[in-house]
Amino acid sequence: MPILEARSLSKRFRRPDKKSGFNGALKHLVQRKYKNFTAVDSIDLEIDAGESVAYVGPNGAGKSTTVKLLTGILKPSEGTVRVMGRDPHTERIANAHDIGVLFGQRTQLWWDLPVEESLKLLKHMYRVPEAEYRLRIERFDELLGLGEFMPALARTLSLGQRMRADLACALIHAPKMVYLDEPTIGLDISVKDRLRAFLRQLVDDGTTLLLTSHDLADIEEVCDRIVILDEGSIAYDGPISELKARYITTKAVHLILDGPADLDALREKFPEYEWAAGQAASEAVATYETVRSTTAEVLGHLTARLAPRDLSLSEPDIEDVIRRLYAGELAK
Amino acid sequence: MTTHSFAVDRAFAIIALKRKLAYRWNWAFSIGFGALGLLVGLAVWRSLIGSGSLGGYDWADMRAYLIIGFLTGTLAWGGSDWQMADRILDGLISIDLTKPVDFQRARAAEYIGSMISVVPTAVLGTVAAFLLFRPAPPASALAAGLTILSVLFIFPMAFCVNYLAVLMCFFTRRYLGIQWLKDGLLSFLSGLVVPVALMPIWLQGLCWALPFVHFTTTPSNIYLGRIDTPGALGLIAVQAAWTIVMWYGARLIWRQTIKKVTIHGG
Repeated sequence: MPILEARSLSKRFRRPDKKSGFNGALKHLVQRKYKNFTAVDSIDLEIDAGESVAYVGPNGAGKSTTVKLLTGILKPSEGTVRVMGRDPHTERIANAHDIGVLFGQRTQLWWDLPVEESLKLLKHMYRVPEAEYRLRIERFDELLGLGEFMPALARTLSLGQRMRADLACALIHAPKMVYLDEPTIGLDISVKDRLRAFLRQLVDDGTTLLLTSHDLADIEEVCDRIVILDEGSIAYDGPISELKARYITTKAVHLILDGPADLDALREKFPEYEWAAGQAASEAVATYETVRSTTAEVLGHLTARLAPRDLSLSEPDIEDVIRRLYAGELAK
Repeated sequence: MTTHSFAVDRAFAIIALKRKLAYRWNWAFSIGFGALGLLVGLAVWRSLIGSGSLGGYDWADMRAYLIIGFLTGTLAWGGSDWQMADRILDGLISIDLTKPVDFQRARAAEYIGSMISVVPTAVLGTVAAFLLFRPAPPASALAAGLTILSVLFIFPMAFCVNYLAVLMCFFTRRYLGIQWLKDGLLSFLSGLVVPVALMPIWLQGLCWALPFVHFTTTPSNIYLGRIDTPGALGLIAVQAAWTIVMWYGARLIWRQTIKKVTIHGG
């Protein structure tokens, strides 16, 4: 039986339909007009216990709204949600005992108090026994380095420290179902790596996870399944490995050459690659299909012939896949 | 109610108290302004009353009235309504709604916790003002006790009035105008600015039909013996009734409001 089940889930908002300028403002003051906007459009979603699901899509696709519907914050306009057999909106308090939520852009720390105080209040809220609380804090310290900023005021923390503290807040009661809405937004590489390792450990321990992120590495390192959302509807739902095999079939090598990049000459010399100009005049970008050549082969081939001053490798990100998916370049 | 609920309430109240004390200068200034208001009130009413009386208040009674007004005003404005409003306006309410606590009860515990931060200075200020200005004494020991009981009702009533005002943010998307209206109604219709007894009869009727009057006029009337003991008990019962009506009224509004919550962005 799924731990989370959403059927025909929709959410519509009413937005003011206001013309710009002073006249528009005056007119709206007298005669209010609104437009309906569908943020989530008839979504069906099932998540089994222990699954780690990435829920991704471009900005404004409805990711955060879905998370708010699934956590009971918002009431659906249509459709139903059951989380562990409960309606998260009407049974909000009972549901909240079993879930953990992190919104990357909103903190749950009390801004003007030490981190420790926020965690202690959460301990009371979730009725965490003292011995378990201490054990979890020790574990968070080990995995997230929490101890170094436990006595610090929340407002004095760096973004990475704040996110780690928020993650501890979301998990202090060992929830069965965890929702993480952009947990690595704005973090540097080392903090991201640390968080991802921690989340992977959480999933391996059996916690069910729904993660929204714009970062492909978050998704790849933490999740096994991906749900792609666009304009409120699900565009893809399946294993990440399948998505990559189906859609991410190219990689690109960015080469910094000694002089200006002559794309015509490069196309003539290396017709097996697709060539494009880079950001600098001396940069050329060679795109190759991963089914035809390995990265080692391509790098060996290009460095031997062109002797570039520098090079880097990139692959299309999830947003690029979505863009191509909806532009009709890729079969849905 | 379970033991756990009280433990959570206490934890929320302590957090709110600590938050209030974290900004000591803000806290100190608000107490200072309260004391300044008392001094201005004393000067104005001294010149208005002189050696006579107004609305049944002689100068000693008016000193007692103003000092009680200082105490009740300090308590009534001691909470953090802006913090409640900001959480709604900034969308942080989405965090609150993921917690396994009753939203209204948690906010009540926080609000009363923040009010407790002003208790020491409100009490010390009141004692100092009594020693300094020698106002009329309480009508009786029983009247003094009932006055304290009536003042204690300011805690839940202040929360209810402020919480109801903050809930309006769901409709207005702003708090400033609502706060001005609430503060205006509370300071004027409670009798804090002008005693209700000095208002026109129709306005007195309006005051007594609303909860605000129980913030200043009720405790001072009990203290000065302007009503007998059964009347005092009746007024305290009305304070309790207003608390219950506003508490459950807020629950009704919340139930309707929560269906319409919109929190955009991540």
